[in-house]
Amino acid sequence: MKKRLLVSFPLLFCFFCGISQKIHVSGVVRSAKDSSLLQSVSVLVKGSNKGTTTNATGGFSIEAQKNSVLSFSSVGYMLQELPVESRATLTVFLTPDDKSQLGEVVVTTALGIKKQQKALGYAVQEVSGESLEKVKAPTVTSELTGKVAGLDIQNTSDLFQNPTILLRGVTPLIVIDGIPDPSADPFKLSADDIESVTVLKGTAAGALYGSMGINGAIIYTTKKGKKKRLSVDVNSSTQFQTGYTVVPKVQTQYGDGDNGVYGYVDGSGSGSEGGGWVWGPKLNQKVAGTPSGYLELPQYNSPYNANQLYTVTLPNGQSVSSHYQPIPWISRGANNIKNFFQTGILSTNSVSVSAGSDRGSFRMSASNIFQRGMVPNTGVENPSFTVGGNYALSSKLTVDTKLSFNRQFSNNYPTVGYGPPNILYNLILWIGPDIDIRDLKNYWIPGQQGLQQRNYNLSWYNNPYFIANQLLNGYRKSSTFGEATLDYQFTPELSLKFRNGFNEYGLNQDYQEPYSYIAYSYISKGNYSITETNYFDINSDLILNYKHRFSDRLGISVTAGGSNAYTNYKSDYVTTDGLTIPGFYNLGNSTNPLKASNILNESRLESVYGMIDVEALKFLYLSLTGRSDKTSSLPLAHNNYFYPSAGISAVLSDVLKLPTFISFLKARASVAQVNAGASPYQYLTTYTIGSKWNNVPSLSYPTTANSPGLTPFTKLTQEYGLVFGFLKNRINIDATYFQNKEFNNIANVAQSQASGITSVLENANVYTRRGWEFVISGSPIRTKDFKWETGINFANNHVWLKTATFGTDGYLGSIKQGQRIDKVFIDNSQTPNGTPIYSSNGFEAYDPYYHSMGNSDPAWIYGWQNTFSYKGFSLNISFDGRLGGLIYSTTNQKMWWGGTSPGTVNKYRDDANNGNSTYVGSGVVVASGNVTYDSHGNILTDDRKYAPNTTAVNYISFMQTTSGDMFNHYFYYSDTYLKLRELAITYTLPARFTRKVFTSATVSLIGNNLFILSKLPNVDPDAAADNLQTPSIRSLGVNFNFKF
Amino acid sequence: MRYIKVLSAIGLVFSLFGCEKMSYFQVNPNAPTVADPSLELNNIEQIAFNTISTDAGLASRQLAYTQSASAAQYYAWQRGSMSYGNISQVVKMQQEAARTGKTNYIYLGKFFTCYFIIGMTQTFGDIPYSQMMQSMADNNYDSTAIKPAYDLQHDVYLGVLNELKVASDSLIDNGVTLEGDIVYGGNITQWKQLINSFTLRVLMSLSLKAGDATLNIQQRFNDIVSNPTQYPLMGSNSDNGALPFYNITGNQYPYYNNNSMKTDFYLDSSFVHMLQVLNDPRLFVYGEPTPNAVADNLPASDFNAYGGLWGSGALSDNITKRGDGEASAINNRYAYDPINESSLLMGYSELQFILAEAAARGWISGSPSSYYMNGIQASLQFSDYNSTYSSTDMQNYVSQPSLTLQTGTEIQQIITQKYISMFMNVGWQPFYEYLRTGFPTLEVTGSGIVNQVNGVNAVPKRWMYPLDEYTNNPTNVQNAVTRQYPGGDNVNGVMWLLQQ
Repeated sequence: MKKRLLVSFPLLFCFFCGISQKIHVSGVVRSAKDSSLLQSVSVLVKGSNKGTTTNATGGFSIEAQKNSVLSFSSVGYMLQELPVESRATLTVFLTPDDKSQLGEVVVTTALGIKKQQKALGYAVQEVSGESLEKVKAPTVTSELTGKVAGLDIQNTSDLFQNPTILLRGVTPLIVIDGIPDPSADPFKLSADDIESVTVLKGTAAGALYGSMGINGAIIYTTKKGKKKRLSVDVNSSTQFQTGYTVVPKVQTQYGDGDNGVYGYVDGSGSGSEGGGWVWGPKLNQKVAGTPSGYLELPQYNSPYNANQLYTVTLPNGQSVSSHYQPIPWISRGANNIKNFFQTGILSTNSVSVSAGSDRGSFRMSASNIFQRGMVPNTGVENPSFTVGGNYALSSKLTVDTKLSFNRQFSNNYPTVGYGPPNILYNLILWIGPDIDIRDLKNYWIPGQQGLQQRNYNLSWYNNPYFIANQLLNGYRKSSTFGEATLDYQFTPELSLKFRNGFNEYGLNQDYQEPYSYIAYSYISKGNYSITETNYFDINSDLILNYKHRFSDRLGISVTAGGSNAYTNYKSDYVTTDGLTIPGFYNLGNSTNPLKASNILNESRLESVYGMIDVEALKFLYLSLTGRSDKTSSLPLAHNNYFYPSAGISAVLSDVLKLPTFISFLKARASVAQVNAGASPYQYLTTYTIGSKWNNVPSLSYPTTANSPGLTPFTKLTQEYGLVFGFLKNRINIDATYFQNKEFNNIANVAQSQASGITSVLENANVYTRRGWEFVISGSPIRTKDFKWETGINFANNHVWLKTATFGTDGYLGSIKQGQRIDKVFIDNSQTPNGTPIYSSNGFEAYDPYYHSMGNSDPAWIYGWQNTFSYKGFSLNISFDGRLGGLIYSTTNQKMWWGGTSPGTVNKYRDDANNGNSTYVGSGVVVASGNVTYDSHGNILTDDRKYAPNTTAVNYISFMQTTSGDMFNHYFYYSDTYLKLRELAITYTLPARFTRKVFTSATVSLIGNNLFILSKLPNVDPDAAADNLQTPSIRSLGVNFNFKF
Repeated sequence: MRYIKVLSAIGLVFSLFGCEKMSYFQVNPNAPTVADPSLELNNIEQIAFNTISTDAGLASRQLAYTQSASAAQYYAWQRGSMSYGNISQVVKMQQEAARTGKTNYIYLGKFFTCYFIIGMTQTFGDIPYSQMMQSMADNNYDSTAIKPAYDLQHDVYLGVLNELKVASDSLIDNGVTLEGDIVYGGNITQWKQLINSFTLRVLMSLSLKAGDATLNIQQRFNDIVSNPTQYPLMGSNSDNGALPFYNITGNQYPYYNNNSMKTDFYLDSSFVHMLQVLNDPRLFVYGEPTPNAVADNLPASDFNAYGGLWGSGALSDNITKRGDGEASAINNRYAYDPINESSLLMGYSELQFILAEAAARGWISGSPSSYYMNGIQASLQFSDYNSTYSSTDMQNYVSQPSLTLQTGTEIQQIITQKYISMFMNVGWQPFYEYLRTGFPTLEVTGSGIVNQVNGVNAVPKRWMYPLDEYTNNPTNVQNAVTRQYPGGDNVNGVMWLLQQ
């Protein structure tokens, strides 16, 4: 078996150059598992109707062309195809058809080198393209969520935003068809083009990619044409974003205003308009003497009467005066969120055509992803076109090429993050339920179209419809990427490969800011800006490979290569300073002189590398690699460095007598070192362009210095793993432990700013990263018609500070040696057992030092995939989530602060509205004594005595000052959640219906992001951060897949 | 033969992507590494002259804030921040000046260094001085350089006074145009006037240390005042150390279009009361009439049209008062005028008040009263936004008997006028004047006040040292705390400068 794989490569070429001639072929078929003889195996000459079956001793005999292909199939075994290649006798090994044919699986490793899974000394996990076909997410990356142990995909609910990808806690290299893509853009790949995704989890796996692969790699392998077959695939999937998985809940009982007072005067937010707060009077209050019977107040949509001043006395005795006529103060905005957002659409359609001949194959595909956003007037179009193929130019030389083009186009997508341009900022946080959002659809003040937006507040907030329709982010990106590989087979043992790959994009972004748009520090006089970015990288590799088998107990493979990588990033930015003609978005329309800036970053990496793979004694696999890099992004004296790796794998079940329930056992171990340079120009000190004053230019100089002796950052990793197969591989377990020592970090080492320099870029600090990864998979139920396949994975990793190189007393900032670095700090005063401490004025007290309240990294991340199949039906269902870890929630904090959280509806609020200070914060005050700290904030002495806090304060003042953080976990919530991520019910049309037209046809009902159980209120913890995110959306739809 | 064809084809393709040498990438094409000192001067002036701070107004009981409980207003502040990064810019400017032979930039640099140092020592007490800037100036990264010792505040002042003298003595009109000067347009005489006037401010800030022989404050003060040829002083508002604002994005008044400025800053009642009692027309340019007064059609020039919020009182009471329309917001110009008024590093009126105080203290001869009146007149003129009040109004104001300096209360009256004149134009200076003189009394009786000394509400005397010094220079900052403040590093510690 092993031998066959080793020699099959050159044989393929012979197959192409064979001559049509009939011969008689005979042989035996054996199980690859235990070499037992297999009977009743069907043997077919491919492309003909000629066939036979094996006899009781596994033998067969058949007549076939010399260059034809025989196909062997049997229930419980994988289909095997073998070229005849003029051979008269054949021994065929069939692989048992388990979901994980442990060890026999061939995976793509670094540089596109294919290896048997069982020979690997490090963890690699593969996701098949098929599993990405049905339930679509905006990016292929998102579709990997929960499927790979150690891969943490943090999905955002915001339209057209990249998911965060963390592999063992750091961002991995993205590789597409063997070509590294350092500018990785998750939107540029179409899921329907993916044959498989291989995750090279650690530094050892990525070692051959050099410094680019220091954090491991995600390798996308795209589909190739199938030999000798013309096929057409059509895949169409449309999902409607019909509801919310998580949506903020806001109170509907109190309106805009402050301390129970509201009266619209001029929209400035000052005076009786309450400073933009939602701490106003209670809604729906019955009072005597008004036409409606409800309290009536001047509001933004009241009739205006310049000649009359209306004065209303509120139930709390305060009065407001306005030229706007009082109208009922009632709750109108309970459904603002639902009324504003529209149904989003995610539609993915693709067609591909592939064909093959004796000498090569060809595939082209076209696809389009269309998204309509939940926010009106937002959306993304994302078409791709790919063409590729391979061809045997001669019996020894083959060429393989691929070229992809991708366009991303959006006329407008929402701005994310807390602040005035964010829709949610103006729709959930800072709008009272006295306002019906639908009343704001006309977003210009009549007679002032293009000049002044219409809103309930004209100095703090923007009308959400105005934002959606007038504040526009345009994005037009064209990416082209591809590769060309020449492969020359000198002899069956010696080959040379030359590969060139490139990534290129041109990106045009523009931004239209209308008149009267409100930012924090200004109200716009109109602006228009354009950013043009061009990126190019090219990666060339020349790889020589020599394979030799000395005996069936010893074989080697030696690889030597060289590569050269170059990247060029250019970006130009131009903006107006005010627009002379409102609504005319052109740089020529700038009121003041245009402002512009540009940047050029170039870098280069030259490398030579080598690898020796040894296979010995039929069960031991050893792999050694070495790589030497020369980088442009380090000082010339230290920019050349070498690093090695070694991995060993032992398939113990092949040599040891194990209990029968253990069908497979492999142990693996690897050590690897990888070095990396700095960012381009990072260590070069230059001036910074400063702001002009009255058009006089200025410069400033950085107070960060650079050590001239900068050497590369180094990561030294050890990894150990065990793979078990139980009960004939019905249950498989893969367990991995890894430990990284990350040293020579290129870090800004802080020093006293009185030295004139705040920090120096130096090699400093040592970190240890450790983690576990488990993958359990199996087929718990497998009957003739029904099958349940399941896979569970869970993983963690944490980082500890090992050495603070230049620290004082072993501290790096607030972190002490030996501690995890993901601590979360607050300076809110607490007693040693965590009770909040108040000041004498009844508000929260603060400490002069920060103290930790936990860690931000989750304790575990996990995923669980299931496939149930019954006859033509199958059900795919997948869950994932995290356990533990703290995330800060801006949404929740602002809701409590601003007065929109349902938790703020209580009697204290009524008291405050009536001018009474009744709220006593739960906690203590310091009655006597003092606390002293060392210079790191550790308590040295503490003789404080506490007494309960008894100072009553105004509830609204209290919330405006503290947000109630002491009873809201200081807005750090546990990241623990369980999400029902994907659901697909697929029906495969029976072959008898489809045979005439389709090879196969399936229809699926699909759902994405369906349901969540979590500890974080109001927001989806998926993104592992919340800076005011879009509500998390549930998608439901249908997928059609036809193969011709 | 075929191998050769293939290999040469491969070689050819490789050569198409011929590469730049590694040394090519060792230059950052995006930013310069050398520059004319004038470019740094502009940057430094933008920092040094931009002093306006609402926090200073809140801490000085001139303003009250309604958005939330303000740390400045209720004296809940803890740590201050250091500004050595600004001195780093000065050092870089001096290096570029030495390289290009433009020596005047070196002496201007000395002035700016002194200015930033004074700001820091008033904030904290002892600070690093004699050992500072070694990493920046000399590329020295030994243990002393990166962890400079703290100097006694006394020694810091002594050093500053000597350096200011060198700066003033050395600046000369050498025919080399001083470019990049956005304040004085390169006028050396005006720079000397500012440096000498600032020296007098520093000397006056040491009034509690008048007896210190090494500092010899009185002598130094006289050396300047008595020799106007050698040491010219500012002669009018046109000599003000002032940064003007422009209606260009980024050059506008710092609170222009600021939402909080539009909705949450109100005048403090004690400040309104002070101006009402004095019939001071500056009330009309500092504040807006209350909404009730507007509803009652009171003119903006009516002193009764104004009211304030109780700065030390509870936030909720102030919000209620605001909601009831009883409070005067800060004048609209601070949020709605992109140019408004200039920001002062130091103005002519302040110089006149310093001279008045020096005369009252007997440091110099001359009439305190005439300096005092000059100061008031200069302030009235500086603050007369859009000619809100006429020269007659100004004359009527100063000729009131209540304005006349009374024996025994000269210093209180001088500092009070200084306090009024410094509303929102010269940063924290009025607060420092209060710490030194106790005038005017800052009101702390309300329930909003957080800071207490022995259970009694109190105005803090300083700021705690920044956390990064505890991390990066722990031994030296701890030593400085131990020798200065028996109660540890807290905001109520009394620094040498303020010890009677």
